[in-house]
Amino acid sequence: MASKGIKDQVAIVGMGCTPFGEHWDKSVDDMLIEASSEAYADAGIAQDDVDAYWFGTLGSGVSGLTLSRALKIDYKPVTRVENMCATGSEAFRNACYAVASGAYDLVAAIGVEKLKDNGMSGLVGAPLPSDGTRPELTAPAMFSLLAPAYAKKYGVDEAEMKDVLTRIAWKNHYNGARNPRAQFRKEVSKEKICNAPLIAGQLGIFDCSGVSDGSAMAIICRAEDAHKYTDKPLYVKALAFAAGPAAGPIDPDYDYTTFNEVSASVADAYAQADITDPRAEIAMAEVHDCFTPTELVLMEDLGFAERGLGWKEVLAGTFDLDGELPINPDGGLKSFGHPIGASGLRMLFECWLQLRQEAPDDRQIRSVTEDGKTLGMTHNLGGAPGECVSFVSIVGSELG
Amino acid sequence: MPTESNLPTNAAYPTLDSEPFWDALNDDRLHLPRCTACAYVIWYPRHHCPNCGAGRDQIEWFDASGRGAVYSYTVVRRNRGSWGEILPYIVAYVELDEGPRIMTNIVECDPESVTIGQAVEAVFHSVPEARQREHGATGVLRFRPSA
Repeated sequence: MASKGIKDQVAIVGMGCTPFGEHWDKSVDDMLIEASSEAYADAGIAQDDVDAYWFGTLGSGVSGLTLSRALKIDYKPVTRVENMCATGSEAFRNACYAVASGAYDLVAAIGVEKLKDNGMSGLVGAPLPSDGTRPELTAPAMFSLLAPAYAKKYGVDEAEMKDVLTRIAWKNHYNGARNPRAQFRKEVSKEKICNAPLIAGQLGIFDCSGVSDGSAMAIICRAEDAHKYTDKPLYVKALAFAAGPAAGPIDPDYDYTTFNEVSASVADAYAQADITDPRAEIAMAEVHDCFTPTELVLMEDLGFAERGLGWKEVLAGTFDLDGELPINPDGGLKSFGHPIGASGLRMLFECWLQLRQEAPDDRQIRSVTEDGKTLGMTHNLGGAPGECVSFVSIVGSELG
Repeated sequence: MPTESNLPTNAAYPTLDSEPFWDALNDDRLHLPRCTACAYVIWYPRHHCPNCGAGRDQIEWFDASGRGAVYSYTVVRRNRGSWGEILPYIVAYVELDEGPRIMTNIVECDPESVTIGQAVEAVFHSVPEARQREHGATGVLRFRPSA
């Protein structure tokens, strides 16, 4: 049975988000203080008004003390949360449930990660339990397996596939160039993306998301209290999460052209939010573009494109900033960067700006301002093809 | 005798259930469990059948041919640590003639020459003595192109 959902029971009433990037001059504490100060000011509250905290980090600290020590929180509950790259979303989900249960009036979900000080590029994570027969893989290598599998299944030749992946990276750089908080704020030509040094399989350096430092926070209360804090709350319509059996890598039936965990979580989210035609009903989505083929496959798994046709929609510009359904208008993991624990909340931050029409003019999407759509989605993935956790949230600026 | 590995090795975790697989690598054999109830060939090595649920009394071990074909692959061009010193290297899924699909490394060939469907055969590497304690086993299974 799917979850019952908590549609319209809780609302986001304030958010904060640091710039993402290489913050050699800032500690984890500094970033937590920066994101939370902005969120408190946005909601018009003092820290003491917050009843409980959910704190997400993959590896930039342990326990609730990492947050309570940094913010000097006076004897309140702080829950440390970890769920791979979906850590920030998991902090948000559990914070929402705590308010919906009636246990607390006002809570905060905050995520942080500091990746650039660890002396190497990329993630340092504990591997999943295994039997020891697997060879050494990198994150780009795991996700690179999506590209040839997709191309073969749907008859896309190698050059066309490279164009599709390049188009996704180009689009996310274009969007990031309009985002002052993004790690990479430059447009990059398709030629440069296409000819970049290869990292794994067909994937070049521009097919990979940014490794960065950053933090983001959301303040959450019951929906009926929302207008105490803001004229423009975002109501939570759906929170869905799926962890799979992680059998893909040894399952002969798994073909690397889909994420079963995503299909399961998004079906639950659409049921909770009463959405039947996502492409028409949703104004925008922030999706987990850790590598360019991931974003391509997600367009189909999330129901934004038909199976096998997602690549054509990418090339046609359907998901561009001025397209029918803008995807990653803030630049996504690709350009905004990916400080793990903060990423899920960063995605909500873009919904917060776009749906309330507070994004910068050159980035504000027309599906909200002209078409009057009110719903946004965040999709956050942790793990790798065949063995991942998937989170989907749907938020909206109107009740009902 | 297996040849000493030129690739680094990750930690292996032999258990009572998988020890026959790891031990056989030392004599150049790909020794796999098979279900006597449904004939399913089991990967990764363990003492129950993931296909029909049969328990340990219905599992038998046999020597597989070691032959198979590349199902898919990727070339890792950047990594860190000891793996960063032997770039580029190949990570592939090999579908064995007996059925299972195994994630492994393809060795003894130019990484740019690997193709989907290419015929490959098992090759058995020994783990250098200095690394055996860390690796947890003395052998490691890899594949190379076959004629």
